[in-house]
Amino acid sequence: MLKQSPIGIVAFVLLVVMVAMPRLVMAQSIPDDNTVAMIRANYLYQFANNNDWPSEWKKGRFVVGVVGNPDVLEIMASKYATKPIGSQSMNVIGANELQTTPQVHVVFIDRSRKSEIAKYVKEYKGKSTLIVTNWEGALAQGAHINFLSIEGSIRFELSKTAMTEALITPGVKILQWAIQ
Amino acid sequence: MGYTMKTIAYIALCMLNLIPAVLHAQGMPITNEAARLCQQKMYTEALSKADEAISSKEERNDSYTWYVNGFVHKEIYKEREVGIRQSQHRVKAEASFMQALKQSNTAKYDSMIKLALKYLASTYYNDALQCSQTITAKNEKEAHILFDDFKRLMLVAEPSIDFKIYEKEFAKSIGQRYFSLWQIETENIELRELAASQYESILLVDSSDSDAYYNLAVIYYNQAVFMYRKLGPDMDMFDSITLQEDASKLIRTRALPYMERAYELAPEKGEVVRGIMMMHRALDHEKDVEYFKKEIERLINEGKIKSDQHKP
Repeated sequence: MLKQSPIGIVAFVLLVVMVAMPRLVMAQSIPDDNTVAMIRANYLYQFANNNDWPSEWKKGRFVVGVVGNPDVLEIMASKYATKPIGSQSMNVIGANELQTTPQVHVVFIDRSRKSEIAKYVKEYKGKSTLIVTNWEGALAQGAHINFLSIEGSIRFELSKTAMTEALITPGVKILQWAIQ
Repeated sequence: MGYTMKTIAYIALCMLNLIPAVLHAQGMPITNEAARLCQQKMYTEALSKADEAISSKEERNDSYTWYVNGFVHKEIYKEREVGIRQSQHRVKAEASFMQALKQSNTAKYDSMIKLALKYLASTYYNDALQCSQTITAKNEKEAHILFDDFKRLMLVAEPSIDFKIYEKEFAKSIGQRYFSLWQIETENIELRELAASQYESILLVDSSDSDAYYNLAVIYYNQAVFMYRKLGPDMDMFDSITLQEDASKLIRTRALPYMERAYELAPEKGEVVRGIMMMHRALDHEKDVEYFKKEIERLINEGKIKSDQHKP
């Protein structure tokens, strides 16, 4: 100002400009949680805990397999695997391990792998493996329980007949909350 | 960007006006000596002379004398007290500039006095924003006082100024602060509501502010996510289903409509496209998720957003 050099003036102008501008306030962040996977994992646990398997399936570990959904697999393993089902400790496995695991209590097949449903239905025919899916028409393809999305809420439908054939007795709470 | 360029042009113009005004300051030895000392960064001596000048019978009625006095205080503030919210040199600089404006020959120095006031105003604005990042739910007062100081000075420096952009930014800053506090204390409903109220206040003055819609959407979405995180093996099935229905309703009826509005206003903003994709994912809207994933890929391919920040 008072007989300032041109450099000084430029510096002063820049300073004023820098401080006078409204700043960009950081945008708030959205968490990465896969909430649908959280819900499905919770349901898988509820299915495991609230249905009844034949007595010979109540020995060894309670095995839950997850096919085609790494998020559900990860949540099941981290949040629910430490909780026993009855007297059985839980073991959560992915698709690769399913082939070498003779007794699987619950298998969730994600719609990204729905083309493989026939293979799994055949694989588990005559066994008490509860097949859970998440696409329309899956019950007709041999699933026992199928997730539905109703106005953004995740609910489920079930085939009581198919479950009975697999010697799995649906629990009262499961029947109560199933969509008819 | 347009706003920035206009402001730079305005300030440059003001600075051009400042030089001839200084050169006309003749016949005021004490004031000129204060100015010279100030230029040499001898602030203590400059201040002593500047104070002598405003007490001088010959010089105290000249606008330039008060301007130089204010300028010395301003320089001392810049040198030693920037960021000190209670700075007395800033207060005294303001008082002197105001006195300068009251003198009969003020017209000659009007633009440079107002430019200096504008600078002081900007420091109050900065302080208000900084202060807003330290407030608690019980103590917003200081930030508002600083913001009011900014407005008060700006009204003198630029009477036609529209404060909307500043008010919005200030509200966003407070909203951001409460949002951050809420992320730490997720059960504190008051913090969440205080954050939301800031963004709602922005929409009252500007219903086309995409950031405000986005931030409201994020608040409600996060509220739902915090609910989902409570799902676990110890929760009864009835409670689990009730919780997830409440959470999905929150996303469906509150978060998504706000995010859809943000998307209408800013369809190529990375965080908005990712936000709406996440909300559709939470509602298991498979087709919408695929659509917005492709949109994110398109925007990345077109160089409009960065891939590392917005992975589909």
